[in-house]
Amino acid sequence: MEIRLSGQLYNQVVADLIRPHPFAAERVGFLIGRIGSTSGNPAAVLLTQYRTIPNDHYLDDPKVGARIGPKALATAMQLAHSGRISGEGIIHVHLHGHRGETSMSKTDQREIPGLLPGFRAVNPSAPHGIIILSLDHGSGWIWSPKATGIAQVDLISVIGAPVKVFRRGRV
Amino acid sequence: MTGSRYSRQSFLGEFSEDAISDCIIGVVGLGGGGSHVVQQLAHIGFQRYVIYDDDIVEESNLNRLVGATSVDALAETPKLHLAKQMIFGLQPNAEVVAHACRWQERPDPLHRCHIAIGCVDSFKGREELENECRRHLIHYIDIGMDVHGTNPPVIGGQVILSSPGGPCMRCMGFLTEARLAEEGRRYGDAGGRPQVIWPNGVLASTAVGLAIDLTCNWTCQRRTREYLSYDGNEFTMKPSLLLRNLEGLACPHFSDTEVGPPILIEL
Repeated sequence: MEIRLSGQLYNQVVADLIRPHPFAAERVGFLIGRIGSTSGNPAAVLLTQYRTIPNDHYLDDPKVGARIGPKALATAMQLAHSGRISGEGIIHVHLHGHRGETSMSKTDQREIPGLLPGFRAVNPSAPHGIIILSLDHGSGWIWSPKATGIAQVDLISVIGAPVKVFRRGRV
Repeated sequence: MTGSRYSRQSFLGEFSEDAISDCIIGVVGLGGGGSHVVQQLAHIGFQRYVIYDDDIVEESNLNRLVGATSVDALAETPKLHLAKQMIFGLQPNAEVVAHACRWQERPDPLHRCHIAIGCVDSFKGREELENECRRHLIHYIDIGMDVHGTNPPVIGGQVILSSPGGPCMRCMGFLTEARLAEEGRRYGDAGGRPQVIWPNGVLASTAVGLAIDLTCNWTCQRRTREYLSYDGNEFTMKPSLLLRNLEGLACPHFSDTEVGPPILIEL
């Protein structure tokens, strides 16, 4: 399984996520994507759009890097609902400020996967997931429509100049 | 002279070997242009290929088909086989997904490509391939040549880079309704178009150069668009002036949100 996005979209995401927040230690965003296969085999999720989260939609919680509030969650749920016709799902994305392959921190494991069942409940026919970027790599997890749980993707491809291929297990 | 296999191309960057070997590259059409392309991709270190061609070697191909011999023409060797032979001869561990059919019959492997190089004959074929690449977020590099007129004949050609989010071949004025209609009118005309090896070589080398720049960014230009016109009588390759006028303009033909297979929405 692969997640793929254009270089323009990747640059937009990174530029947004590296901005300092007035009180949160990191930022979060939502990507929109759909299955890119003609055979029904979900080999890739193609990302199309990014939604930034306004500063005032974060909650001030020093125990975590970023906690988003009900307005941000409502926006994400609305996006998931809107994607029912087009088959577009929601991908939660944030950035860890180091180089090399990254993964979910303990806080990430506790907090983020719990969002996906909500997205699936609203839009079960679309892929939903998580992306964690580092400064030069990225890891992703997708819950495909027919799958019983989330699975880590093998690669994230950024089709820009240059092409970036974040391959799982490769720094 | 000693040194590792890629020591003479280390200027491409510290991580260029990894970048090249990680990139999944597609070549559609393995004839006069595609055979050059595959040869160069294999030399420079690409490891992951998706290739398509449903044709066999014929006597009339031997003036330009790199790697083909008289024996291949007699044996009617598939062009796909020659390409695989070329790749595995240079990169024995390469992953090659090869299909002896039109890409439209097996499109899923094409969708895995990061870069696709189209070496197809028709404007319609180029249009379909570019459409598919746009929908699946693939850089598309198109090459082609033609010979017009007599006394003297004029050799022309193009190398075009069409990337997701950038101007397409219609924006660049290369694909037009008039050209497509004219091609449609001539459909079925007997006789092959004139083709010779050296313009194919120039165009293929330029396409491979663009693919390397897309993977390594060694020119630091971060290019996502290109339209180079080849003048085979003057032996020049020049940037098209049309592309300059498109700076900063969004492509009206492909939306960033229209990706993946088309969906039918009941109204």
